[in-house]
Amino acid sequence: MLRLVATRAVLGLVTLFAVSVLIFICTQILPGDVAAAVLGQQATPDALKVFRAELGLDKPAYVRYFAWLLGILHGDFGRALTNQRDIVEELLPRFLNTLFLAGYAAIISVPVSVALGIMSAIREGRLSDRVANVLTLIAISVPEFFVGYVLIIIFAIYFGWFPSLATVFPGMGIGERFYVATLPALTLTLVVLAHMLRMTRNTVLSIMSTPYIEMAFLKGLSRTRVVSRHALPNAAGPIISVVALDLAYLVVGVVVVENVFVYPGVGQYMVDAVAKRDVPVIQACGLVFAAVFVILNTLADILAILFNPRLRRRR
Amino acid sequence: MSDTQLKPQGAPGLIVDRRQLMAGAAALGLGFGLEAPSAFADETPKKGGTLKLGMEGGSASDSLDPRTYADSIPISYGWQICNGLVEVDAKGDAVGELAESFEAKPGATSWIFNIRKGVTFGSGKTLDADDVIYSLNLHRGETKSGAKDLLSGISDIKKLTPNQIEITLKSGDASLPYVFADYHILIVPNGFSDFSKLDGTGAFALESFEPGVRVITKNRGNYWKPGRGNFDSVELRYIPDAAARVQALISGQIDGGNRLDAKTVSFVMKSPNVNVVRTKGTGNRFAFVALCDADPYTSNDIRLALKYGIDRQKIVDTVYKGFATVGNDTTVPPSMKYFAKDIPQRPYDPDKAAFHFKKAGMANATMELQVSEGAFSGATDSAVLYQEAMKKAGLDLQVKRVSGDGYWDNVWLKAPFCAVYWGGRPTADNQLSQTFLSTANWNDTHWRQPGFDKLIIEARAELDEAKRTQMYAEAQKMIVDDGGMVCFAIGDYLDGYGKKVKGAAPHPHYDMCDQRIAEKGWFA
Repeated sequence: MLRLVATRAVLGLVTLFAVSVLIFICTQILPGDVAAAVLGQQATPDALKVFRAELGLDKPAYVRYFAWLLGILHGDFGRALTNQRDIVEELLPRFLNTLFLAGYAAIISVPVSVALGIMSAIREGRLSDRVANVLTLIAISVPEFFVGYVLIIIFAIYFGWFPSLATVFPGMGIGERFYVATLPALTLTLVVLAHMLRMTRNTVLSIMSTPYIEMAFLKGLSRTRVVSRHALPNAAGPIISVVALDLAYLVVGVVVVENVFVYPGVGQYMVDAVAKRDVPVIQACGLVFAAVFVILNTLADILAILFNPRLRRRR
Repeated sequence: MSDTQLKPQGAPGLIVDRRQLMAGAAALGLGFGLEAPSAFADETPKKGGTLKLGMEGGSASDSLDPRTYADSIPISYGWQICNGLVEVDAKGDAVGELAESFEAKPGATSWIFNIRKGVTFGSGKTLDADDVIYSLNLHRGETKSGAKDLLSGISDIKKLTPNQIEITLKSGDASLPYVFADYHILIVPNGFSDFSKLDGTGAFALESFEPGVRVITKNRGNYWKPGRGNFDSVELRYIPDAAARVQALISGQIDGGNRLDAKTVSFVMKSPNVNVVRTKGTGNRFAFVALCDADPYTSNDIRLALKYGIDRQKIVDTVYKGFATVGNDTTVPPSMKYFAKDIPQRPYDPDKAAFHFKKAGMANATMELQVSEGAFSGATDSAVLYQEAMKKAGLDLQVKRVSGDGYWDNVWLKAPFCAVYWGGRPTADNQLSQTFLSTANWNDTHWRQPGFDKLIIEARAELDEAKRTQMYAEAQKMIVDDGGMVCFAIGDYLDGYGKKVKGAAPHPHYDMCDQRIAEKGWFA
C-alpha cells in the first residue's frame, strides 16, 4: 500500500511539471510579446530591443523556461512587469487569504453536505430527502454572484448582521477574520453544497442496491446500521474525490465571489494581471492554481486507498 | 450601522426625499462655479475622523510612481500625498497650488512661476525651485510618463531664484498652467527616486500601500492650505464591483464611492444616509468614429447621414437613464471653457440622413459599426438603438459585436467605423489637439484639415480672450460640420457620499471633487 501512495505522489509531481511546461508555452503563444505589451503606444524598435534584452526575451524559449523553473524551485517567481513588485510577496498573502476563505467554506460545507447526503440516503424518498434536494439544487442553479447579492441584501442590508465588504487585512484578529468572511463563505457553501450532497447520497444509494447490502438486511440489521457500517466505507472513495474537487474549486474558482465581496484573494490578482498582460504574474498564479488541483486530487486518491476496506484488509 | 438600513417597505416614504435629492443634485451639477462652492461656504470645516473611500479605477498592478498613473485610484492617492504646481478651481480656472502665482510674457512663449515659500515635504525638506524643476523633468525626454506629450512643447526650464522658475516653450501656449494641473505632474523632492515611499507636500503621508486592496494615508498635521486636509486619516479601498460599492455606501461601510451605476442610482438616492453628487456632462465622451479616408466615409455626405441618423436623446434616456448630456459631435462639452455655444445641437432627422446618403451617390455603400463593451459600457446597446434609428431613414447600418479583449489594439484606429470614448482633458486645446490635429497619434477619424491645425496652433498663443473664444468656436464648427466623429453623449459623473461628509461638490475637472475629496472634505 505504501507503494501505491508513493506512486500517486510521484505522478502528482510529474503532472505538475507537465503543467508548468504547458503554462509556459501558452503564455509564449499569446500574441505580441511582453515588451510590446508593456511599452504599448511608446514602442519604438530601439526601445523594444533594449527592453527585450532587459527581460531576457532575446534568449531561446527553453533557456528561459529552465531559468524560470529554477527560480520557482528556489521560491522566486520574479517581479511583476507592471509595478516591479516581488510576486511572491504579493501572491503569498493573497493565497493565504484564498486558502482561509476556502477553508472556512469547507469547514461548513463538507460536514453539512456529507451528513445531509447520508441522511437523505437513509431516508430516501421521504420529505426531508426531497426538501434537502430541492433547496440545494436551487442554490446551485443560480449564478454564484446572485447568491452573494441575495445574502448581502438579507444579512448585510436588511438585518445588518454581517458586513458586505469582506476585505481582510494583515493584522486582523482571527475572530474578526471569521466574522467579515462569513457571507462569502456562506455563498461558497451554498454553491458547492448540492454537488457534494447529491454525490454522497447517490453513491450510498447505489451501494445499497448491491447483493452484500441485501444480505446485511436479510441478517436483520437496521437501515442506519447497514448504511453506516457496510455501505459508507465502500462509498468513501467517490465521496472523497468529489469533496477534493469541490475544495479545489473553492480555491481556484472564486474570482466572482471575491469580486462581489471585495475579498483580496488570488483570483482578482490574476484577473488584473491578465488585463495588463503581466505574464510573470499570470504564470505564477496559473502554477499555484495547478498545484492546488494536483495536490488535492493526489490527496483524495491516497485517502480513498486508505479508506477502502478491501485495501485495508490486504495489509 | 444596522439601524439605518434601507428597508424595502419604507421606500414610498422616501420618494419625496429622492426627488429633493435629485433636484438638489441637478442644481449642483448645473450650477458649479456659481452656487456650488457657496453652498458650503457658510460651514467651517471640522478636523478629525477617518475618511473611508471605496473606488473603482485601479488594479493590483498600480504603483506609486506618478508617471504610471492612469486611473481614478492612483490619481486619488497621488493628490492625498502630493500637490501639483497648479490646480483647477470650482469655476474651471487654473489657480496656483505650489506655484503662488504665474504670468506669461507677451506671446506666451515664456512663463514665470513663483514657487510658494515655507511649504515642506514629508521628509522635512523645504520646497524650492530645484524640486519643481526635477519633478517636471521626470515627464520630459526619455520617459514612459503619461504626461510626456503634455510637456513636449517645453524647450527649457530655468531656475531664476530659489523660488522662481522660467519655462520657455517652442511656441506660445496661453493655457500652459492647466497642463500643470495634470495628475501625473506631482511635485516630489529634488533627486527623489524611490517612489515606493512617495514623498510630497500633500496633507497626508503614506501609511500602507497594498495595490488592489487598499491604501492608507495619515494626516501630517499643519497642512499649508487653510481649511483643507481635515481628516486624521484616509482609507482608500479598491471596490471594482459597482453593486458592492453601492451596498457598502448604503450600509455605511464606506463614506464615499465613485462611478455609481446610472441604472441604479435612483435607488441609491432613496437611501436616507447617502448623498449623490452629480456632475453634469464632464464625464466620458461616448462616440462612434468613422475614418475619413476609408470608403464610404470619405464622403462628407455619408458622415452627415451618420450624424443626422442617430437618436441621441433616446440613447441618453435609455442606455444612460438620463444621466448623460446629449453630445454634439465634438469632445468639448458645454461645461468647458471655450465651448462653442452658438453651434446648434444637431437633431435626429431621418429625412436629412436619407437626403445626405442619397446625395453622396453611393447607393451600395455598406456601413458596418464595430462595437464592444470593452470600448465602454453601453456601447452595444447604443449601437443597436443607432441601427434602429437609421432604419427609420431607410439606411442599413450593420452592427458587429467584437471582443473587448484587445479592442484598443485591434479595432480602434483600424476599423473604419467603431466605438470609442474620450476622457475629459483640462483645456479645450488639450481636448481638441489630442484627437483632431492632423499630427495627433490618436486622431481616430483620420480627419486632417490644415486650416483646423493652423487655427488650433494660433489659438494657443492668443492672449486676447475674445479672439481666442472665436477661434475655438470656429475650430469646433469645422469638426461638427465635417469631421468623422459621431459624439452622441457625454456622461455624468455620479459620486455617492455618506450624509456626514461635507465639502463634496461637483467639479468641472474630474469626479470626487477633482479626486481631491480627501483634501477638501470634512465630517459634520
